[in-house]
Amino acid sequence: MLDSIPSFARLVAELAKFPGVGNKTATRLAFFLLRQPKGQAEALAGAILDLQRNTRFCSVCFHITEQDPCALCCDPGRDATLLCVVEEPQALLAIERSRSFKGLYHVLHGALSPLDGIGPEDLKIAPLISRLEQGGFQEILIATNFTVEGDATALYLAKLIQPLGIRVTRLAYGIPMGSELEYVDEATVNRAVEGRRDI
Amino acid sequence: MKPQVSQAIILHHSDYGEADRIVTFLTPDHGRIKGFARAARKSRKRFGAALEPYAEVLIHWLARSSGDLVSLRDAELVKLRSGLRRDLETLTLAGYGCELTEVLFDESGIGVEVFQLLQAFLDHLDNEGYSVEARLLLEVRLLSLAGYMPHLQHCADCFGPLPNGPVGFSAAADGSLCPGCDGGRGILKVDRLTLGTFGRILQTPLTRFADFKLSPRSRQEGRALLGDALRCHLHRPLKSLEFLNRFSPGESP
Ligand SMILES: [Zn+2]
Ligand SMILES: [Zn+2]
Repeated sequence: MLDSIPSFARLVAELAKFPGVGNKTATRLAFFLLRQPKGQAEALAGAILDLQRNTRFCSVCFHITEQDPCALCCDPGRDATLLCVVEEPQALLAIERSRSFKGLYHVLHGALSPLDGIGPEDLKIAPLISRLEQGGFQEILIATNFTVEGDATALYLAKLIQPLGIRVTRLAYGIPMGSELEYVDEATVNRAVEGRRDI
Repeated sequence: MKPQVSQAIILHHSDYGEADRIVTFLTPDHGRIKGFARAARKSRKRFGAALEPYAEVLIHWLARSSGDLVSLRDAELVKLRSGLRRDLETLTLAGYGCELTEVLFDESGIGVEVFQLLQAFLDHLDNEGYSVEARLLLEVRLLSLAGYMPHLQHCADCFGPLPNGPVGFSAAADGSLCPGCDGGRGILKVDRLTLGTFGRILQTPLTRFADFKLSPRSRQEGRALLGDALRCHLHRPLKSLEFLNRFSPGESP
């Protein structure tokens, strides 16, 4: 049936590529968009294009940003002796939401995974180490996920960082094993940051 | 479709879409199975930590009429084995053991003995941590269960006895070679005592890992000969092997 309305079918096909969206939901969304005023569709299309055009990764911490370095890296109110290392930008946002951390961040963009062949050179680890070697940091809080991959990454980083004479801490195990920070509630993240312990 | 339930070891998982997960697990009676766990990353209600690699679980699934993925209904954690996370060496060796098992046997070719062996290996690492011995014991037993064990204590060509001292060995030639048969094929030199040691290990119970202590020479020669035998039979290089060589001090091949 949709084949007879190519532009409708095309939109459904594009929407169905979204995470968690199947054909049924995509069709519902397409009907919704069909009934919107013309300006609304343009605003949506413009927002998507702007996101792609204007955002990039911060050259210091690798968080998503429109300005480089990002607002977090440029904020003089943040504690520049404290650095929190996370796997993904979503985890950074989860920690920010918990309001428990006032230092700077570093986003690795992944975690070590021997079985998937993801090694240290596939992550932003080299820039992390050169950031640390420039000095100034007194504590590195490793906030990788509580999964096998997150734990492997934390163990690897601790091994690399300890010789630099910097204190290395890890989120407290209030966070259940197997969890990804993105999906943990704010209060739990807050407690885990407060209760962080040395590795 | 009839619901199935089994004891299982989680070998590997990968993320799928926004919050789903694809999980490979090993069972004693159904071989290796790949399943789809809907919303496993987001919701902890149904799976919790029970889909973490190397965990032992009681897993419930529904076979599908088509496709190779079963649908995971529920997983109860029996043992997380969090002792594996004590250091990078232990964690990497656990991953290597699972990948080696996965690559050496096809899905249906895994029997209960392979399950028990991997289970005992992971339990040992969970309690005692990394050791070269644990790795070698797993390798030699997996090779033997897969039917790939090279001839150790007699000549692979003439089945004659081997002299004392260093003996030629080549997995491609199916094992040890006596001086008369060697003809330059025995690329490795392995002491006869080492060959005897590994021959005797194969007589010990499959699930025993504690209290094995090998001499530095047996460790080194054992690694070389088992490495040669594994390379001969693996249809793809192991991703975890590079990590193991890299993260385990004194482990350079
Ligand atoms: Zn930044
Ligand atoms: Zn011979």
